[in-house]
Parts: sequence; structure tokens; C-alpha cells
Amino acid sequence: MDGMTQRQVIQVSTVFFLLAGFHARGSAEEDQCFVCHSLLEDRPSVLYQSDVHRRSGISCSGCHGGDSSSDDMEQAMSEQSGFRSIPAGDEISAVCARCHSDPDAMKPFGANLPTDQFSLIRGSVHGGGSVKGGESLIQCNTCHGAHGIVRVKDKRSPVHPLNVVATCAGCHSNPAYMRTYNPSLPVDQREKYRTSVHGEKNASGDAKAAECVSCHGGHEILRAEDVRSSVYPTNVPGTCATCHGNSDYMAEYPIPTDQLETYSGSVHGQALLGKHDLAAPACNDCHGNHAATPPGIESISNVCGTCHALNADLFSKSPHKAAFDEMGLPECETCHGNHGIVAATDQLIGVSEDAVCSQCHAEDLNPAGYQFAMHISSLIDSLETEEARGTALVDDAENKGMEVGDALFRLRDVRQARFETRTIIHSFNQEECTAVFDKGFAAASFVSGEATRAIDEYYFRRIGFGISTVIITILAIALYLTIRRIERRQKEMLHT
Amino acid sequence: MSESPETEGKRDFLKLILGGSLTVWLGSVLYPIFAFLKPPAQPEVEVSSILAGTIQEFEEANAKIVRFGRKPVIVVKLETGDLRAYEATCTHLDCTVQYRRDLGVIWCACHNGKYDMNGRVLSGPPPRPLEQFRVVQKDDDVYVTRGDES
Amino acid sequence: MTGGQPSPSTPKKDGSIWFRAYTWIDERVQLRTLVDFLGKKYVPVHSHSIWYYFGGVSLFLFIIQVLTGILLLLYYKGSEELAFESIQFIMSKVEFGWLIRSIHSWAANLFILAAMIHMFSVFFERAYRKPREITWVTGMLMFFLALGFGFSGYLLPWNELAFFATKVGTDIAGALPLIGEPLLVFLRSGEDVTGATLTRFFGFHVAVFPGIFSVLLGIHLILVQRQGMSEPFGEEGEYGKGKKTMPFFPNFLLRDLLLWLLVLNLIALLAVFFPWELGEKADPLASAPAGIKPEWYFMFMFQTLKYIPAHIGPFEGEQLGVLFFSAAGALWLIIPFLDRKSKIGQKSRLLTYAGIFIVLYIILFTIIGWMA
Repeated sequence: MDGMTQRQVIQVSTVFFLLAGFHARGSAEEDQCFVCHSLLEDRPSVLYQSDVHRRSGISCSGCHGGDSSSDDMEQAMSEQSGFRSIPAGDEISAVCARCHSDPDAMKPFGANLPTDQFSLIRGSVHGGGSVKGGESLIQCNTCHGAHGIVRVKDKRSPVHPLNVVATCAGCHSNPAYMRTYNPSLPVDQREKYRTSVHGEKNASGDAKAAECVSCHGGHEILRAEDVRSSVYPTNVPGTCATCHGNSDYMAEYPIPTDQLETYSGSVHGQALLGKHDLAAPACNDCHGNHAATPPGIESISNVCGTCHALNADLFSKSPHKAAFDEMGLPECETCHGNHGIVAATDQLIGVSEDAVCSQCHAEDLNPAGYQFAMHISSLIDSLETEEARGTALVDDAENKGMEVGDALFRLRDVRQARFETRTIIHSFNQEECTAVFDKGFAAASFVSGEATRAIDEYYFRRIGFGISTVIITILAIALYLTIRRIERRQKEMLHT
Repeated sequence: MSESPETEGKRDFLKLILGGSLTVWLGSVLYPIFAFLKPPAQPEVEVSSILAGTIQEFEEANAKIVRFGRKPVIVVKLETGDLRAYEATCTHLDCTVQYRRDLGVIWCACHNGKYDMNGRVLSGPPPRPLEQFRVVQKDDDVYVTRGDES
Repeated sequence: MTGGQPSPSTPKKDGSIWFRAYTWIDERVQLRTLVDFLGKKYVPVHSHSIWYYFGGVSLFLFIIQVLTGILLLLYYKGSEELAFESIQFIMSKVEFGWLIRSIHSWAANLFILAAMIHMFSVFFERAYRKPREITWVTGMLMFFLALGFGFSGYLLPWNELAFFATKVGTDIAGALPLIGEPLLVFLRSGEDVTGATLTRFFGFHVAVFPGIFSVLLGIHLILVQRQGMSEPFGEEGEYGKGKKTMPFFPNFLLRDLLLWLLVLNLIALLAVFFPWELGEKADPLASAPAGIKPEWYFMFMFQTLKYIPAHIGPFEGEQLGVLFFSAAGALWLIIPFLDRKSKIGQKSRLLTYAGIFIVLYIILFTIIGWMA
């Protein structure tokens, strides 16, 4: 008896004698490992009482090996009987996977049970990279526990929606621990999450609210930079829409469920989802990741301004900023929309029905704005017309073979001015806007002037040639007649 | 001798036509020549496609935009004193970029694209860096040609 | 009156400005003797008379080249950096610059064409026979210079096509045995075609060649004036004594001028409706564009070289080709001295057939070269 306490000796002996008595009762099916270890009241056996595997009739030897029918400790835990003792590292998951990755083994317990967890983990960001050379970062028991495993839907499970945040945070909120694996990875996700709507609902017991697994997945977690990841930018809208686009799921929450649809048709959606342009924003770029919240009304232009910096800056200095804040209007969104933003057209500005300006400004109400809108709208149209005219003239001159390099060069400036006017409009300041427009008009008039000169030159050359041909023809005829006359005279002189 | 007043008249007429058309023809030949000799309003060849300027010009301003054929090229002087030349067409939507000494970047006024002094994109919508040109200095003249800095 | 010859054109009226000018000069250089001599000059009139005009047309086109060339010189800049831009400048900013430049380019080609017609018509008429051997030699040397004018002038715009055409052309010159390599370096002013080549070609084109050409032209014209127009084979001397002629002054000259006027109009038409292109500026670092061709007057030689196999026995095919054309050119130059039959008043049929073959060959290979 090595190192056992006196108390344990008495306990074991008691059990031995009791079992010897009960032995004749034929309890060969009972899990002798569990029976013995329960009497010891060690932690694994206490936990195993509620374990789902025990309920399904799996004994300790199902994972640990050995002979669970034998009450002889030495025989039950012998190598010959296949006892594996306590598995460590990858051995743990290998043990679980022996059944859980085998569809035939799992069939008796439920036809719909997944059997790909192990391979998913192996392929995920957690599958490998352990500091103990080559082993998996986590094993099954890291998240599910070892002896007290219950179903995910069981409120006691560490991977139940209401508990899983703490489970993940066990590593991911520990800076010293995470430093070993990825020093640049943030460790404040839980903190941020708790400030979000999702986090608040989750904390108050709403299991429907999104938690770590909802977005990142359970076994198949990949880095956000991995194209296959559910949180890779082009996949984010779909991930969010799993809940937010499902009107049945969202029925009890007072928010719309058409965001994905609207967003997909927007200029941002088409850029990100259609052209895979990663510069375009996904849901998290405007709403935040872990601290996901719709931006506050006064701060919308800051959110849009992270990319559209110039426009936001001009807007915040314009008279609209104070006015919109006062009226509780959401800045950029008021004119441009939020999810369904389409490319701004020139029709947006003006006093027509399509124009946004007319929603607030009318000739008799807020006339200053009305006048401004009307004026700018006409300037926009003029500049567009001038650009088209200049381009047409230059094309004509080029087709006629005239050299119009200077004009073509200045055409760029006209085009650029049109871009710049679309930005400067956000200042809603007459002087600033007119200055930019004037730049465009000056360039356009140069272009048209040069192109017209080139075309005129083209015709001048041809007309000039025509005239000189006429002159030469007359001269040639005169010369010819002169020659004839001279020769006639010579002939006459010969005959006289 | 055997000439009638009629033929004499014809002869004079022909002479008149000959002389007249000859004079007009001479005029139509000499006019273009004299017009050609008159120096045009812009007396010098547009040198900016290759000769970007003198080294002294870059002492004061630190960047200059010149015309290279049909494209604009921006010639910048780095803090180290090196001269670099990049195509001044923004890779986003083709606006002409400019040098912003206050920001220390090459900046595009259209959508706030920023490039560092090596032509690489720092922030904003541009998808690609600026195309680089070769700068050669001969005595005081600064030349810009195609090709990468080797 | 002298038989068969109307009186020479004398100054018309006493006291007119022409007469006074004439007398003024005559008192100093005895102009009268020259005028009398020139007045007797006649041109035979026969079925082949039309060929007589082509020498004059060539001369006219050369004068056009000199005049337009001088005008272009006032704006052209012959350096690698500025050549292309200066021509762009002439084409777009200088008034009538487009016209002067296109005329210069078109007239260059017409000049060589007229010279070739002149040369072949003289050949077929055997007009090179005694006493006109030197006239032929100076004419041939001028023709070679004309080709040199064309080759050197072609590079001056410093555009892509010209750059690579010069590269290829000087490469071919370098294929000559022994003298090829030094010749190539001399032409290119270095191993490669660079700005130095441009400067050198510019010097050739506006100074060296015009200087030599003028001397040859002077000799050529003096000889033509001194010896008169050559008469058809077998009819020598007869034209002075009765066969139909026309006085050089004023008849032939006025007809010549009329033709020149029409040629001028033709050049203007070409310049306005088919302006000469400029293309892209040469970039020595870029790869050669597709379809580099020499100008049409070199095409037949270029195309021939393409058909010669790379090696013929121990010799390089290209070398043999270049040598062959050089030898052919040399023979052609001294034909008056080789054509023995013409010395005894007979037209060598062999030479006529050879000439026809050469003309057809040139035309055929030029066309093949352009179609390829």
C-alpha cells in the first residue's frame, strides 16, 4: 500500500468486502470503475454522475480503457486489459474522436449527431500551434469539460450560449496567456461585447442573442483574414444575416430584417460582395465588431467619415451639422440612406421632386437653402454639358487627324473638377463651391477653344488647298496657252 | 506683221492672265513661308515632357507637376535630397495628385487618397501605388524618362 | 534666219528694266556669249522626248527639299531629348509648319522616285555613252547621296519606327566584311544607335551631303548645258540638221516649268490629304514594334536579304547579300565604261534585257516587301 491514507485503506477494504458480498448477485454489467471511484468521492466520479455519456451507458473504460467489469483494481487497470490511464495532449481528442468521428459508432445515439468536429478542429486556428511542439492548441475537454459533459442546450454546459462567452474568455481575455500565442491579438473582446446589445441581452439571459460561437463558429474557427472564415469581410454580411435576416427568429425584436437585402443592392454591398473590394465596409465596419451597436445620431458622420473623410469634415463645418443635430436628423443617412446607399447622382441636388434638398427647402420655406440648391444644381448641369461638349469637340478634331494633346490634357482637369464639386458640395457654402466650379469651367472653355481651333484649322487647310489649286490651274492654263502661242509664233516665223 | 488687233488684244489678255496668276501664285507660295518664319506665340518647344526643370527649381518648392507626353508627372524632392518622379494620375479614378508639404504626403484632392513619398498607398481608396519614372540629373537640368529607378 | 532654228529670245524692249539689267551685267561679264550659246540649245522632239523632263523634275524636287529643309532647320532641334518634340511643335504650333514638314517628307520620296525614273530612262536610251560618261557617274553618285539623304533624314524625327529602322539598316551595313564594323561605329557614332547617332545623321543630312551633292549637281548641269541633250541611238547629229527639235529657251523651259507647277500641286495635295505621320517617340529601352520596314526605296534590297539563307557554304548569307548589292552598285556606276557595244554605236540587247529584269525585280520585291 503505497501512499494511501489510513482512511482510504479502510474505505477500500470496506468496499472490497461489500462487493464480495454483492458479487454473487451477478452485477457484471455495472461500471466497476465508477462504483469504486464513487466511493472514493473523487472529483471525476462526482462529475461523471451527471455526464451524458454515463446516461448512455458508457463506462469509465470507454475513454480510459481497462476492464470495467472487473472489481479487481489490478486487473481492471492493467495494461493487458487495455488501460490507458489519463490521456494527455492530443491523446485526449483522439480518445473522443474514436467514437465521435465514427458515424457508425454514433448512429445508435442519434442519427443527426455531427461527426466532423475533430477534423474541423484540426483544420481550424486552434488545431495545432501548441507550445508543446505540434500539438493542438485545444482539446475537446478544453471547452466541453472531461467528466461532467452535458449537451450544449443544457444550461450547465460550458458551451451553452449563456456560458460560452466565459469559456472562450478563459483564454482570450488573459493577456499573459494569449501573449504566448499571438501577441498582437486583442484581449478585450469580452469587455467590448458586454457593452453591445448582444452582450447585454446575453448577460440578462437571452440565449437567442449572438455570442462568440454565433459569428465565429464552434469547431471551425478560422482567422478573420482567412477567406473561408465566417468573419472574413465578404462573409460578414451573410454571417450577421443568419439572425438579422431571419424574420421569424427576429420576430420578438423591434428591428427590421431587410438589412442584408438592402445592403446587397447598395454601392458598398456591390463593391464588397460583387467585386470583393475589401475597401468597402461590411456590417462590422460601421457597427463595430464585438461592441456592435448602431451609431448614435450625432456621430454618424464620424462613422462614414472614417473613409469619406473630406465629405465628413466639410459637413461638420457646414450649417447643416447644427441644424440636423437640432432636428435629430441622422447626418449622412438623411440624404444618402444607411444600408441601401446608392451612388450619388447629380439629381440628388436641386429643387426637383427627386432631389433631397426639396424635403426641407422650398421657395417660401428656408429660401436661402432653396436658392443655393437651385444654383448648384444648374452649375452641375452646366459643367456636365461643358465636359460633354469639350469631349465631343476633341474627339472630332482627333478623328480629323489634328493634334490636340494640350486639350486632351486639360480635359482631365474638367473631369477632376466634376469629382471635386461632388465633394465640396458638402460644405453647402456658396463661395467654396463656386470656386471649384469655376476651375472646371475655365478648363472646359480652354478645351473647347483649342478643339474648335483645331477643327477650324482642318477646314482651313482643305479650303486653302482648294484655292491654291484653283490658282495653280489658272496659272497652268495661262502658261500652257503662252507656250502654245510662242510655238505658233515660232512656226509662223519659220514659214515667213 | 501678221497680227490683227484681235490677236493683239488676245495676247495682252493672255499676258495679263499669265502675269496676274503668276503674281497670285507667288503670293500663295510666299504667304505660308512668311507665316512659317514668324515665331509662334509659344516660342519654345514644350520641353516639359522630358526636361522637368532645373535643380534650382526644386530647392524652393519640393514638387513640380510636368507634362510627359499626354500624362502628368509629379517630380518630388525627398528629405534626403533625392529626386523621384511618379505618374501624377491617382490610381483610383485618374485625378491629378499633388504634393502636400504640410501633410508630408502626395495627396489626391478628389477622394482624399494619400501616397507616401515612395508612391505607395498610405490610406484612402487608391488600389495601386503610383507608377514610377526615372529621374536623371545632368549638370543643372533635371530630366524625367520612363523606366523604373534601378 | 538660221536653218530650222527660230531666233533666240532677245531682250524685248529697249529701255525696259530687263534690258537695262542685262546690259549692266553684260558689260561686266560678257553675258552675251553665254546667252547666245544657251540660245542655240535645242531639245530633240521624238517619241521618247517625254523622258527628258524627268531630270528637271528631279532637280525641282531637290530645290523643294532644300527650301523646305532650310525652313524646317529654323525650328528643328537635333538632340535626343528634343527632336521628336520639336517636330510635334512644328506640326502643331508653327503656322503652316504641318505643310512644310509634310511637303518635305513627301517630296523626299517623290525626288527619289523621279531620280530613279530619270536614271532608268537614261540607261535604256544609253544616253550615258560617250561623251556623257561623267554625266552618268555624277548622276549615279548623286543618286547614292539621295539614298543617303533619305536614310539620314528618316531618323531625324527620332520616332519608334525610325529608330529601329536605323538600327536594322546600320546593322546591315555592319555586315560588310572587313570594313563593316568600323563603318557601323562610324555611322552610329558609337556601338549603338543613340543621341550621338542622331546628331551625326543630322550633320550628314544638312551639311555633308548637301555640300557634296551641290558640287556633283553643278558638274552634272554644266555638262548637260555644255553637251546638250542626248539624242536617240543611231540618230546622233541628225537633230541639229533637220530633225524636229524645240529650243530649250523658252519652249522646253516653259514646258518644264508647267510640269513643275503640276508636280507642286500634287505635293500640296499629298501634304493636305495624306499628312506625314509622327508616331511615338523612340524609346531605346522598349522592344521593337511589329512591322518595322525600311522606306520603299530600300525595300527591294531588304526583302532580298530576307530570302537569302543564313549560310551559304562558309559564308554568312547576309554578308554575301550586302556584298552582292555593293558590287552591283559599283558595276552600275561604271556601266558607261563597260558597255562596249554603245561605243561602236550598237544597242546591247543583253543590257536592255538586264535593265528590264532589274526594273521588274525592284518593282516586284518592293511590292512583296510592302505586302508582307
